[in-house]
Amino acid sequence: MHANTLSNAIRISRVARQTGLTESIGRPAAARLCGVLGLSALAIAIVPLAQAQEYAGGDEVRVLQGFKPGGGSDALAQLVQPKLAEILGVDFVNEYMPGATGAVAWTRLAKQSANDGSVISITNTPMLMTNYIMNDAITYTTDEMTPIANVVTDPGIVVVSADSPFETIEDLMEAAEQNPGTVTIGNSGVGGDDFFTTIQLEQATGLSFKRVPFQGDGPSATAAMGGKIDASFNNVGNVYGQVESGNLRALAVFAAERLTSLPDVPTMQEKGIDIVAGSSRGYSAPADIPDDARDQLIAAFETLADDEAFQSQAEQRAMNLDVVTGDDYGEMIADMEAEYRDIWQEVRDQVSQ
Amino acid sequence: MDSSLVMIGLTNVLSINNIACILGGTALGLFVGAMPGLSATMALALLLPLTFSFDPATGLSMLAALYVGASYGGSIAAILLRTPGTPSAAATVLDGFPLSQQGKAGHALGVSLFASFFGGLMSGIALLTAAPLLGTLVLEFGPVELFAIAVLGITIIGSLAQGSVISGLLSGGLGLLISTVGMDLTTGTPRMTFDQISLFSGIDFTVALIGLFSVPQALTLIENSHQGNKVASRITDRLVPQWKTIKRLMPNILRSSGIGVVVGLIPGTGGDTASWFAYNEAKRFAKDKSGFGKGEIAGVAAPEAANNAVVGGALIPTIALGIPGSSSTAILLGALMVQGILPGPNLLTDYGDVTYTLIWAVIMANIALLVVGLAFTKMSVSVTQVPDGFIACAILALCIIGAFAINNSLFDVGLMLGFGLFGYWLSKAGVSPAPMVIGLILGPVMEISFQQSMLIGNDSFGVFLESPIATVLLIMALLSILQATPLFSWLRRPFKRRLERKR
Repeated sequence: MHANTLSNAIRISRVARQTGLTESIGRPAAARLCGVLGLSALAIAIVPLAQAQEYAGGDEVRVLQGFKPGGGSDALAQLVQPKLAEILGVDFVNEYMPGATGAVAWTRLAKQSANDGSVISITNTPMLMTNYIMNDAITYTTDEMTPIANVVTDPGIVVVSADSPFETIEDLMEAAEQNPGTVTIGNSGVGGDDFFTTIQLEQATGLSFKRVPFQGDGPSATAAMGGKIDASFNNVGNVYGQVESGNLRALAVFAAERLTSLPDVPTMQEKGIDIVAGSSRGYSAPADIPDDARDQLIAAFETLADDEAFQSQAEQRAMNLDVVTGDDYGEMIADMEAEYRDIWQEVRDQVSQ
Repeated sequence: MDSSLVMIGLTNVLSINNIACILGGTALGLFVGAMPGLSATMALALLLPLTFSFDPATGLSMLAALYVGASYGGSIAAILLRTPGTPSAAATVLDGFPLSQQGKAGHALGVSLFASFFGGLMSGIALLTAAPLLGTLVLEFGPVELFAIAVLGITIIGSLAQGSVISGLLSGGLGLLISTVGMDLTTGTPRMTFDQISLFSGIDFTVALIGLFSVPQALTLIENSHQGNKVASRITDRLVPQWKTIKRLMPNILRSSGIGVVVGLIPGTGGDTASWFAYNEAKRFAKDKSGFGKGEIAGVAAPEAANNAVVGGALIPTIALGIPGSSSTAILLGALMVQGILPGPNLLTDYGDVTYTLIWAVIMANIALLVVGLAFTKMSVSVTQVPDGFIACAILALCIIGAFAINNSLFDVGLMLGFGLFGYWLSKAGVSPAPMVIGLILGPVMEISFQQSMLIGNDSFGVFLESPIATVLLIMALLSILQATPLFSWLRRPFKRRLERKR
């Protein structure tokens, strides 16, 4: 188990930030400041809220995060977990184990975590599956996990710089048809959703692009903005502000329907290309956790989905809610895995030459 | 620039609440910065959820103050203990620690504090006056230009190689080699990872840094602790530097601040890179280079001015375009999103009140840094009264905590200790770890941007010559290399002769 004094010391601070969030509302700033400096004092002051039915997995749930604090997964955790804590009457303790695009944390979840409901993890697709599809050294699989709920899905989007010659998605594809393999398309990294979306588009249309990987969505969008690459396949949540302000032009979204936030941007399906893609973040537990705990967690997410305050907060943070719970989430993961396995099988030799 | 928004920002900052938060944030930043392994980014991420319930001005002021405080805090441990508290203070060690050994720790710390203050202040002013102008510059820096910067940075290895060029190049080459561990960006293939998934993301540069600098120092302290004479410094000199010292260092500080602002605003490079660039330029411009590495005060002022100037520099693209210039500003951007402000170029207009509050908070935090920093530094200097044996144990404990805290991984602790033993061997062999650190910082940047450039340029090297910025930077790199060869002095001989004739 992962329990030594060092991690306890770190955990105290994690607990403190959680309680700082739920407890400190309305206290004067100076007092909060003292709270920061006296982390341990705060940590002692945690009292789980009295609840009608106790959570079967104990009164503390550890959340393994596969990415650094302050990133997209953490943003989700900070939004979701305080609400979940109220619903379930438990404390959530974040444990950050960045590394190997989440694989360090997910291996820990699948192989080395107690399956009593006291440990869960934020699971990001498609990295959750592509990690082990693409790398034999990564040995966990989604079969070793209990899917709890998907929370947000950020649809894929094609953006170009404001002064790009490509006005429509057809322009971009025509350029690729005339000069195969020279139109440069940025993605967030090999194995990410944008990387696979590019390949899916190539397979669907027979075109060939030059795929340029970046270290994340942000650098990819910046390169497109500066005209360093022809287009960036990105996610709506990352570029919405830049599209709204006119620094980037959106050509198409990989969503099933037009987005209410970008009503003028066509979907790929409208263009006769049946690709719906994006990156999703949800929660999963290790395999075979007790049914009580699983049901309670799923019920909590369903309650959360109906909470209007939560919905408006998510909207404010440009998070596109897509709550899918239990077996449906499992099916969503399985479908994606099959899809990505096929794609990777076809292109693996070409990519890793 | 809308002057009414500027004033609203100023009045927002100047409330008792916010000033208290700025002071508190600065103190917290100083503490975090001084501890090896705990970085500004980490502290910002930890403090962020706490600010959710604050009003935007207060929350941002506190976060900005923490960022500023941590940028200086790293130099305290670097100067007193030869253990850089933050990655960006690694360059400060080179001259800061020798000064401290000569009993001039107070002098070094004072100059470091004032250089940090001026660097931070100047970047704050740049932020306030020229953000929209400089912000658009960021878009000019794509993979091609980033590659040229990395190449220019690598040439610093040559000038850092004190004594033996061979050992310097060896150290730098090792750093570059170690930086290739991990997944290849373009193919996803793991390299030199031995199926160990903890290595898939590569070796965390901070883990190596802690091992290479701090552990050998602790071991050396233990080695010498039975000797009667205390090697570590005693504070005998004054902390506040004399005006004439500052005046003499001003050109250096100004140049370093400029470097800091520019390096800060380019996404992908930050304080760790800027401090080495500034150190190198300080050495290049110095008339007498012999003192560098042996306790030259200019070698303390340059990196410290630069790494604090990075704060404002990194914020420029953040507020002008909504593009974070560093990992720390990415978290600040997250703080804005939580307040319902979506990052984008309208930060200076639609959300001007909040943005200008942030800018003023940065400027105020630098003033707070001077006040809180003096007190904090005075306190921390007492560490030199503690016997070396205890200090060594404390350093080792901090190394372990720091290495663990980066990724919450015990594997990293082992890695850090491995680097520590290697670093100890290097110090015994007389090889400086500084070039290796540069290799580790710039290796990944150089490799990735090279691969991206090749993809963008259709596998033609011509892509580097098509970009004027990249061409200029690469020529500078070439000159910088030639400068170290006999060819350059031969080329310069006619010029020198002409100059002498004129006299």
